[in-house]
Amino acid sequence: MTIAIIKTKAEQQLAAAFERVAASLPGASWVPAMRKAAMGAFVGAGLPHRRIEAWKYTDLRAQLKEAYAPATGKGATLDEKALAAALGPNLAKLPCNRLVFVDGVFVADSSGPTPDLGTDFHFLSIADTLGDPDFDWMTHAFEQTGETKNDPLLALNAAFVTDGVTIRIVEGATLAHPVHLIFLSSSAAPAASNTRNLIRIEKGAHATILESHIAVSGLARQNNSVTALHVCAGAKVQHLKLVAEGAEATHLGTWTADIEADATYNAFQMTESVALARHQLFVTFKGEGAAFNFNAAVLGRGKSHIDTTMVIDHAVPKCTSRELLKCVLDGEARGVFQGRVIVRPGAQKSDGKQMAKALLLSSNAEFDSKPELEIYADDVVCGHGSTVAEIDEDEVFYLCARGIPKRDARALLIEAFAAEAIDAIAHDGIRQALQARLNAWLAAGV
Amino acid sequence: MLDIKNLRVKLEDEDKIILDGLTLKVPRGEVHAIMGPNGSGKSTLGYALAGRGGYEVTGGSVTWNGDDLLAMEVSERAAAGVFLAFQYPMEIPGVATLTFLRTAMNSLKKARGAKELTTPEFLKVVTAKAKDLGIDKDMLKRPVNVGFSGGEKKRMEILQMTLLEPTLCVLDETDSGLDIDALRVVADGVNKLRGKDRAILVITHYQRLLDYIVPDKVHVLSAGKIQRTGGPELAHELEKSGYAEFTGKAA
Repeated sequence: MTIAIIKTKAEQQLAAAFERVAASLPGASWVPAMRKAAMGAFVGAGLPHRRIEAWKYTDLRAQLKEAYAPATGKGATLDEKALAAALGPNLAKLPCNRLVFVDGVFVADSSGPTPDLGTDFHFLSIADTLGDPDFDWMTHAFEQTGETKNDPLLALNAAFVTDGVTIRIVEGATLAHPVHLIFLSSSAAPAASNTRNLIRIEKGAHATILESHIAVSGLARQNNSVTALHVCAGAKVQHLKLVAEGAEATHLGTWTADIEADATYNAFQMTESVALARHQLFVTFKGEGAAFNFNAAVLGRGKSHIDTTMVIDHAVPKCTSRELLKCVLDGEARGVFQGRVIVRPGAQKSDGKQMAKALLLSSNAEFDSKPELEIYADDVVCGHGSTVAEIDEDEVFYLCARGIPKRDARALLIEAFAAEAIDAIAHDGIRQALQARLNAWLAAGV
Repeated sequence: MLDIKNLRVKLEDEDKIILDGLTLKVPRGEVHAIMGPNGSGKSTLGYALAGRGGYEVTGGSVTWNGDDLLAMEVSERAAAGVFLAFQYPMEIPGVATLTFLRTAMNSLKKARGAKELTTPEFLKVVTAKAKDLGIDKDMLKRPVNVGFSGGEKKRMEILQMTLLEPTLCVLDETDSGLDIDALRVVADGVNKLRGKDRAILVITHYQRLLDYIVPDKVHVLSAGKIQRTGGPELAHELEKSGYAEFTGKAA
């Protein structure tokens, strides 16, 4: 007996799109077979839905009504004015090593300056290197194992990936400027882009890497972005992401990180009112004494749905993980936090704490929080907490009684709430730029 | 002049009437004290003047220099010169005291048509006034009132009162929770603000504060009405005899 699986419209469109574009996607050698296998795995399972635990609150099968055609990005050029408008003045002026992608394709001519290139910092476009025998190590970067084994977003990304970047921060180097990866969506037609970044921070190196996922306003987009990070022993990296692709955009983002002994991985994400966002983080401790600190600011209004789901694998002893999510939800926005912490047998002295806090500005907003602790060792400190609150009217009264107009008083309190996550950013320029974006977001609607 | 006529206030969620026809005049340049037993409506009077939600005005009028206070939003009353020093100042996590002070000062300057302060101007004036009140710089960097002792919170209220340049000051039980040294500092701060254009209303349960801030008039509030008005000596009389006479009258 055979069981006919009914495919949704979006699933059918994705399968058809793959047939149509596979031959034109970059990469020779092992790459076409890898793409085909990844697509096969995706088609077999279909889009994830609410009966899969990790997708309990974000039913992609129901929410993704239609799959847009893959962006070709061919002959893409950069409109500097549109880019500056989308980034906001502070980020646009940030001194950095600038790498620009337009509609999923690296635009070498419009990238730069890259002041740290060559000594401390090396990069190559994925499209240029995929399948090149000199870069065979990349095959591993597309293998899905362990906690990512059945992940549909990684599979889709592997099947359709058009570009991205490999970055190497050289052993012992301290990068003078942050690396700013800018992913701009600009084509007028609804489109999907798939990019993947492979980043290696070598032993003892220090770097700040910012990803800005932005769009010329109001575009219907489905962007699937993956960044795989390897933080070598004693290295320290601050990895940040701004997602502001507009109210019509879907952002599917996955970060994976392997953290070696005594390394520190400081991650930050800020998401502004996209239609649908799913942020996934798969963090694995590979050596003792490593630390992972995650802070996120989620700003949702309208019908925004923003999901942050992470798996933190304390595979070895004596590692520390901290997560703080601050969610501001207005209108009918919905925020989701799922934090799974695994402490493997023998991973003694693991220390994991997570906190998810939501501020609901409307009675129609919703926040779902689901911590999961799986602890197989006995000498550990693990905890989690979650709160949902409204603006405190007594605090508003106090501020107003000192002459601050009500609208400003509310904005000040919301800003104070969200700023706790942003304050954790060590890089002054980026912290101030994201603070300015938060204020602009508040000014636009509260 | 503050002119309260026949003011009636009830709690929004309950039928309980708290102020029941309160009439009071405080001319500019004078300091008046409102004394009364617990539950007489002292704090409600302060909240009604400042415009706190949850208190419904069902009758009467309140004007300040001829302007109808009851028709104004809370922040507009502040711009018109009203300042309520809270009995229990709110803690506001995440908002640094300096940010709060600068936002409040500049909001008021803007509303009053004055030029906003630059950061150096602001820091200069805050640092000087804070020093007078024995408030150290670290306190100004901390979130508003978070982790402050009772005395620190009251000093912070007086600092705000000094910086925001109100013309009608209402001090709600400012003496509660203060030791004698803190009381003296706070009273000095208030006395410095006495002036011909400013009216000050001191709400208190005890006469003690009035030894330091000597009022021009004392009013006894009980059962939602002013029951008696007299000079500073009335406070001493109340300290001896208590409020029994007035609560008895109300019953």
